Amino acid sequence: MVSFEAITKAVTSGDGNLAYELTKSALDADVSPNDILDKGLIPGLQEVGDQFESGDFFLPELIVAGDAVSKALELLDPILGKEGAATKGKFLIGTVKGDIHDLGKNIVIMMLKGNGWKVTDLGVDISPDEFCTAVAEGDYDVLGLSSLLTMTMPNAAQTIEALKAKGLRDKIKVMVGGAPTKAEWAQKIGADAHAKDGPSAARVAAELIANA
Amino acid sequence: MKSMNGLERIKTALKLQEADRVPHFERVATSVREAILPGASEEDFIEHMDLDGIRFVDRTHSWDYEIFDESKHIKKDQWGGLVRYTTEDNPVPMDPAIKSEKDLDAYVPPDPDAPHRYEYLQRLVKRFKGERAIMVGLTDIFALGRENFLGDIGYFRAMVKNPDLIERVNEIILDYQLRYAKNCIELGADVLWINGDWAMTEKPMVSRQFTEKFLAPPLKKLVDFAHERGIPCVKHTDGNIWPIYDVILDTGIDGLHPIDPMAGMDIGEAKEKFGDRVCLCGNVSCAFSLVSGTVEEVKQETKEVIRKAGKGGGFICMSSNSIHSGVNPKNYVAMVEAIREYGSYPLALD
Repeated sequence: MVSFEAITKAVTSGDGNLAYELTKSALDADVSPNDILDKGLIPGLQEVGDQFESGDFFLPELIVAGDAVSKALELLDPILGKEGAATKGKFLIGTVKGDIHDLGKNIVIMMLKGNGWKVTDLGVDISPDEFCTAVAEGDYDVLGLSSLLTMTMPNAAQTIEALKAKGLRDKIKVMVGGAPTKAEWAQKIGADAHAKDGPSAARVAAELIANA
Repeated sequence: MKSMNGLERIKTALKLQEADRVPHFERVATSVREAILPGASEEDFIEHMDLDGIRFVDRTHSWDYEIFDESKHIKKDQWGGLVRYTTEDNPVPMDPAIKSEKDLDAYVPPDPDAPHRYEYLQRLVKRFKGERAIMVGLTDIFALGRENFLGDIGYFRAMVKNPDLIERVNEIILDYQLRYAKNCIELGADVLWINGDWAMTEKPMVSRQFTEKFLAPPLKKLVDFAHERGIPCVKHTDGNIWPIYDVILDTGIDGLHPIDPMAGMDIGEAKEKFGDRVCLCGNVSCAFSLVSGTVEEVKQETKEVIRKAGKGGGFICMSSNSIHSGVNPKNYVAMVEAIREYGSYPLALD
């Protein structure tokens, strides 16, 4: 009998091989892949996120925990895809024009994927028009705009304005984040939410969808 | 008090003493420099503004690059990674050099002794030696390993999963940096300025344990090496370093920059807690006031920073990172004027 707690612990300790083996054993024992994700892997990432926010964990611990979930998802993704299992949602993300820093964005992606989101990464230095095109062509629930530099923060605001101008703003929820950003600024530029780091991004995105 | 030149001011502050006035220098983005003194070279600008020192960084003035994708402004740096050029003067790492241990086994580091690396330094020495502090920026071993060698994710992963890889990378970089530092010192560098962030806005990037194990030892070796040759070292790191500041100070650094206000680092509190151990360099906000404040707001903030950190010396008044291209040129001029107006010792600000 595989315990979900053991899977959770494999994630929090960053042990990808163990997370993989336990997931395999659970699948062999006919445990639902959704249960493995929701009761084993996601609680592990949530615990790591909590410890990151409380100051006990740092970037290395966050990354190896994300790796452990990715390893288990190698087994779960094909099955979840076949069964048409619902994901938490579809997330479109990119770093705004003029900014090519991507550490924060990559951590957000890792945490979102681990929490059951389908993520499309547009990359770095993305113009408002490029964001608009992707929003128009895709079927996303949330758009994440990342900005590490004070000087590129206005480009997040311009992206939101461009979405409005093209009639796309109501199609998607917009989250902003990055080292110099604050919740007050996010509100001022018309974003729906602000996330200060990767773990909080996964939580805030879930809240946005729940309240939609 | 006898009037000092820029070099004397900076060296006095780094010895935690009072100079004739609070010293100041900055690395100023080309666009800001152009707005203040059109057509001026960096060196002419330093003299025009009467800055006490000049600082350059190895990334821009010493490393080799070759074009990788011209249309996307991507180049390969001398370590083998890819960097991209944006509107800022610094190239930004985008793809690391080492993706596996096999890459490292076959790795041939660049030659720190190549004479062309020192052409800019030699130009500065010829013009400023003995008058203004010549500060050579070296990229921190942690930052270089993280950004250019293994990539952020690869580096942090290896800290947990493969610490030997980190040790090997640190060794390669440290060997290069010590040889580079030796050459710079012999050519006339006055100060080593060690760039590279150890913290984020909220907290340090890695735990105290990892900071002590991986980050501090190579920095200490670099600092010891410089001190043996009579050269002081300043460490730059953005972010909230409250949880690890003592680990940083224990490496023996002489100055700490920029006491990041955006990360909640109050320079008055820093003065109180460790102003007797290290020269504080900072921290007029280049995220807010220098970018979007009024001239008066900048002057008031500069005055306040001097009031909090200037007493007794051991202080160099600077921005909270650099005068980047988003800074309002008028505000930078206002900051310099305020330093001159309020920064004469003995201070009369309380």
